[in-house]
Amino acid sequence: MFVARRMKKKLVTVPPSASLFEAQGLMRGHTIRQLPVVSEERTLLGIVSDRDIRAVVLPAGLVPGFTADEAEKFMKNTPVERAMTRKVVTATDTDTLEDAIVLLRDFRVNALPVVDAAGKIAGIITRTDVMEAFIEVLGVGEISSRLEVVVPDRPGTLGQLAAIIGSFHVNITSLISTRHVEEGKRVNFFRIATLNTGPIRKAIEEAGFELLDPSRFILP
Amino acid sequence: MKRLAWIYHPDYLLHSPPFEHPEAPERLVAITEHLGGVGLIDRMVPVTPEYPEDAEILTVHDRGYLDKLEVACRRGDLTLDSEDTYLNRHSFNIALLAAGGAVAGAKAVAEGTADRAFCAIRPPGHHAGRDVGMGFCLLNNTAVAARYLQAKHGVGKVLIVDWDVHHGNGTQNIFLEDPTVFYFSIHEHPTFLYPGTGRRWEIGKGKGEGTTLNAPMAPGAGDAEYRMTFEQMLEPAMEQFRPEMILVSAGFDAHRDDPLADLLVTEEGFRFMTRHVIGLADRFCGGKVVSILEGGYETASLTSCIEIHLRELLGE
Repeated sequence: MFVARRMKKKLVTVPPSASLFEAQGLMRGHTIRQLPVVSEERTLLGIVSDRDIRAVVLPAGLVPGFTADEAEKFMKNTPVERAMTRKVVTATDTDTLEDAIVLLRDFRVNALPVVDAAGKIAGIITRTDVMEAFIEVLGVGEISSRLEVVVPDRPGTLGQLAAIIGSFHVNITSLISTRHVEEGKRVNFFRIATLNTGPIRKAIEEAGFELLDPSRFILP
Repeated sequence: MKRLAWIYHPDYLLHSPPFEHPEAPERLVAITEHLGGVGLIDRMVPVTPEYPEDAEILTVHDRGYLDKLEVACRRGDLTLDSEDTYLNRHSFNIALLAAGGAVAGAKAVAEGTADRAFCAIRPPGHHAGRDVGMGFCLLNNTAVAARYLQAKHGVGKVLIVDWDVHHGNGTQNIFLEDPTVFYFSIHEHPTFLYPGTGRRWEIGKGKGEGTTLNAPMAPGAGDAEYRMTFEQMLEPAMEQFRPEMILVSAGFDAHRDDPLADLLVTEEGFRFMTRHVIGLADRFCGGKVVSILEGGYETASLTSCIEIHLRELLGE
């Protein structure tokens, strides 16, 4: 999946001349934590976060006698370009979602502005967008039941399981397959669109697979 | 001893699965045989349910959904939307009669011909939403009864206690933004059990924020956890809400022997919950409780739990 499919295209941006006060208002109004700073030609110049703003305002606040009114005045008179980060970690619209996840982790940032080949801003992808994708993949909130099946780590077992579930005319709404704690085994998490899991559980066990008992997850 | 209305109709057996399925007429056969055997049926006030007016169903469900359900049954469809929810040619009528059964129980208690009521009805209802049937449910019987009480008997605030082991996503959605119906559900945690909803932060929306309360139970939870939840979550919430009538979505599948879930509630747990709800009813609404059957799929525990439930409702 490409970043372009997941990024937010409706962007809230500011010009470098906008005041910190304006920028903070925009962030609060849209419940976001950062704003790309762009030129009139939509070229990305920087990114400003609520943290960047605090970092500029806080030292001024340490001056004795600095009142709330003065803080507001200071924010109204200080342009965003004085607070913004100029070396922006970006994604391009041809990066994959995997690229974006790794970038967010490796550079420890909250958001990646997405730029096109001409360096113009095309969208933004944040940690929240990645969370949303993850929730979707897990099938959380979809009407379904969950099965956890431990299988030997060899080709074809997933196909066998899918065939068993399919034989009950039940849809698989989500599937995750990961390494198991035990060597040589994998665990498959299915979400299936039925309340009636009994016959499916039975068939899976009869085929020789191990179904994890949910109560095993409870700590003593 | 209290006058306990017993709502039942032999036609409830006509909704029967075209393939092997846990929600089968045998559930009600086992219940009536068991209760007859221990002499309980004779001690209740029998009430024969009637078919409800369309308008009564339409307080909860969309016209379009009712039409779709009727056509699907007439056409001979074997399932509705999802494969777990079966139909036969009688299902539409019997779903109406089940909703009528919940209404009949509510009516008996509201009019005072009985102190409390138990509706031995099927198909169950709590997964059915405004425009969708799922999870063995076609019409939301409990929701229809709540709306009936409000429309016909001037009942303002209704509490629904849903102790079926599955979260009643249908009921929750129907009353999500309604501050007059408090929906409380205790169920196995959505990560482990169908339908995957009913997390603790689902508390209602808009005007209904605060009148939905969910208590998800970890697999392996039993009587002690249930007791704590009723005493520490439901009771304080009711001191604020002060219901005028209590409906119970009474499923018995949280029992340790039930094959569809992973909880360990025993007969004593169901005795405690029944007593607790009666206690709330005595405090807030003149003892009025209408209990409506939802799930419960293992015959021995289903019948023994219902026997205890009814003995408590009778106030023996």
